[in-house]
Amino acid sequence: MGPGGYLTAQTDLRGYLTEWRGLYSGTTPCVLLPSTTGQVAEILRLCARHRIGVVPQGGNTGLVGGAIPHSTEARPQVLVSARRLDRIRSIDAEDFSITAEAGCLLATLQAAASEAGRLFPLSLAAEGSCQLGGNISTNAGGTAVLRFGTMRDLVLGLEVVLPDGRILDGLRSLRKDNTGYDLKQLFIGAEGTLGFVTAATCKLFPQPSSVVTAWVTLPSVAAAISLYGAARDHLGDDLTAFEFASQFTVELVLKNIPGTRAPLDNPGPWNLLMEVSTPRTDSGLEARVQDFLATMQDGNRIIDGVVAVNRAQRDALWHLRHSMSEAQKLEGASIKHDVSVPVARMEDFLADATAAVGSMVTGVRVVAFGHLGDGNVHFNLSQPQDSDGAAFLARWDEISHRVHEVAVSFGGSFSAEHGIGALKVAELAHWRSGLPLELMRAIKFALDPLGIMNPGKLFRAE
Amino acid sequence: MQKIIVCLKRVVDYNVRIRVKPDGSGVVTEGLKMSINPFDEIALEEALRLREKGQAQEVVAVSIGPEDVQQQLRTALAMGADRAILVQTSAELEPLAAARILHKIVLSEQPGLVLLGKQAIDDDCNQTGQMLAALWDRPQATFASKLELKGTVATVTREVDAGLEVIEVDLPAVVTSDLRLNEPRYVKLPEIMKAKKKTIDVVAIDSLGVDAAPVLRVTRYDTPPVRSKGGMVKTVDELVTALRDRGLLA
Ligand SMILES: Cc1cc2nc3c(=O)[nH]c(=O)nc-3n(C[C@H](O)[C@H](O)[C@H](O)COP(=O)(O)OP(=O)(O)OC[C@H]3O[C@@H](n4cnc5c(N)ncnc54)[C@H](O)[C@@H]3O)c2cc1C
Ligand SMILES: Cc1cc2nc3c(=O)[nH]c(=O)nc-3n(C[C@H](O)[C@H](O)[C@H](O)COP(=O)(O)OP(=O)(O)OC[C@H]3O[C@@H](n4cnc5c(N)ncnc54)[C@H](O)[C@@H]3O)c2cc1C
Repeated sequence: MGPGGYLTAQTDLRGYLTEWRGLYSGTTPCVLLPSTTGQVAEILRLCARHRIGVVPQGGNTGLVGGAIPHSTEARPQVLVSARRLDRIRSIDAEDFSITAEAGCLLATLQAAASEAGRLFPLSLAAEGSCQLGGNISTNAGGTAVLRFGTMRDLVLGLEVVLPDGRILDGLRSLRKDNTGYDLKQLFIGAEGTLGFVTAATCKLFPQPSSVVTAWVTLPSVAAAISLYGAARDHLGDDLTAFEFASQFTVELVLKNIPGTRAPLDNPGPWNLLMEVSTPRTDSGLEARVQDFLATMQDGNRIIDGVVAVNRAQRDALWHLRHSMSEAQKLEGASIKHDVSVPVARMEDFLADATAAVGSMVTGVRVVAFGHLGDGNVHFNLSQPQDSDGAAFLARWDEISHRVHEVAVSFGGSFSAEHGIGALKVAELAHWRSGLPLELMRAIKFALDPLGIMNPGKLFRAE
Repeated sequence: MQKIIVCLKRVVDYNVRIRVKPDGSGVVTEGLKMSINPFDEIALEEALRLREKGQAQEVVAVSIGPEDVQQQLRTALAMGADRAILVQTSAELEPLAAARILHKIVLSEQPGLVLLGKQAIDDDCNQTGQMLAALWDRPQATFASKLELKGTVATVTREVDAGLEVIEVDLPAVVTSDLRLNEPRYVKLPEIMKAKKKTIDVVAIDSLGVDAAPVLRVTRYDTPPVRSKGGMVKTVDELVTALRDRGLLA
């Protein structure tokens, strides 16, 4: 591995072995830091020969314990970090594509695209720390899915090291390539269980030149859903973000995050952050959005709203949105859910789920926010005020299962964008039992018969 | 006082990356997002606060530029300005020409206070406010980070190199705003709708009879030289050697 290629001192390992929320910590004799695809191949070949588990890690911002070598595994495991695989290999503005290595920070990719006059649209609160390889392996979503899709929609080609050390070179930027099974799709969202992603070619888009950002308060989620339909009708594809949050969530941000201020002095029970953008120099965009919102206000679908007049205000509104996880973290123990339902069922889901958790834990505080346009809500629960956090967390499985039941009863999913990792293995086994799980295992066995890739994630070994 | 005039300049949005035209004759502005100069927005916010405290009756926003600057003036009206004046011209004006035009407007409007940004972020001249005060022959207080009115005197805290300086000026006066004067408000929806009904008076530049011809001759525009990439050193010794090699350390 050469100098700088591996770490063995326990003090050096610590940062790699605990995850963001401190829910998980793991053990490993060493962290490997390959800087070339060839080194990754060599590592996997050796690990296969000696039946050593390989835990891929990107920016370690995942929220389900997927990038941690858990000590519950019987076999020894090494952690392989993509950190030093951080080159941008090429940008082709005319082809609207970028090829970069797995360890590139998402923010670095965005900046490189922007430098070339293009947009890389994936955007999420962890973008300063998460990596391209992690984004691909979790099929990350974020705040621009409504317009640009999830990571799966953005990947054109992949370079992957297979569990036996062979390299699958699929770094093509083709929009059309119907040549049998689309193999790259297997690795997107696989959470490191099928191979190690070393590089990817991704789509770029024209850079937005007009952006209008508005914060709107609403009387109900039903009103927000009706506004959503009207916004898509009116603004078409220019609608890029449609994020929502309960007023309680916003109050936690205002209370716990220094320097934040309320956009409106007459808040309602629900808040929306709406962004409209276009690559056209569309001087009428702002007026169109304003007129649209004014009509909605006349129709009593919104209580009030503000439109950012400059970049600083726009950033301040997004800062409120991006600080929600952090603000909740400061409120004590939390149990988090990342569920999706068809957009039109969101209000019913929230009502039923809130009633369900309320009857299980008196005084539980629901912190609900997320990507309404994608039907995705982070239905998070903070411990009751002045209660025992550990006792609350002890009921995680029971409470989560109940919330997931409600989501599934509305045609929803128990895991919208964060994935399964180690956290939701039992839930996956429950909700995808039978044929779906059987097929997943068949794929796993076909690619990784020795079971060395990210052991214990997605499902337990048979 | 009866009236405050706030001068607003439309500039290329501060988030846009500026490109020099290939022939070096200027910078590309076509098709770029335009905004109110951020310092001017702060000046407007200050005027609105003074009016809301009952220290002024009316806030008038004034801009100089092509017809579509009306869009930025609409934003100013939505923030709360009572009415707006656009001196229409397609020419690029230098600070002296702008000051002469504003002086004409000031003479006809007779405000008790004129507020401007300390500088515009496109040319960074930092001259218009000062020149206007001189033409008008009234006191000036630049780089304001705090402004208080009492009777016919304005007490202004200025941000200067040595720290903060507090001065008093007799009104009417010209005050230019610094970054820390205030944080501009969000524009609420009902205000946006109300703004559509407020008036923008359009004045043809020729009707003012001022000499707006440029006095400076620009020979060429160039992009600043790119900063060379830094290198990483592994040890303190290497760092010391590197600094010595560059003559930065004896
Ligand atoms: C504040 C905050 C906000 C977030 N917001 C969002 C959001 O809006 N939307 C969203 O989808 N997620 C969100 N997340 C979750 C997380 O940031 C994303 O899932 C991100 O894509 C993970 O990237 P990472 O590089 O940190 O991956 P890691 O956490 O390091 O790894 C995630 C998984 O991918 C595997 N993996 C990582 N790199 C590779 C590789 N090169 N090859 C194979 N497998 C690999 C790991 O083994 C693990 O299973 C958020 C997280 C935080 C902390
Ligand atoms: C004039 C003309 C223009 C065309 N233009 C285009 C074009 O612009 N873009 C393009 O992509 N293609 C084009 N094609 C090709 C073709 O029309 C498309 O590929 C189309 O999608 C095939 O649909 P089909 O129902 O005719 O399938 P078929 O020709 O009947 O079958 C195609 C394949 O799909 C399988 N298949 C069909 N139905 C099923 C099923 N229900 N389950 C599983 N397998 C199934 C068949 O076994 C076969 O392998 C064109 C063809 C013609 C004649």
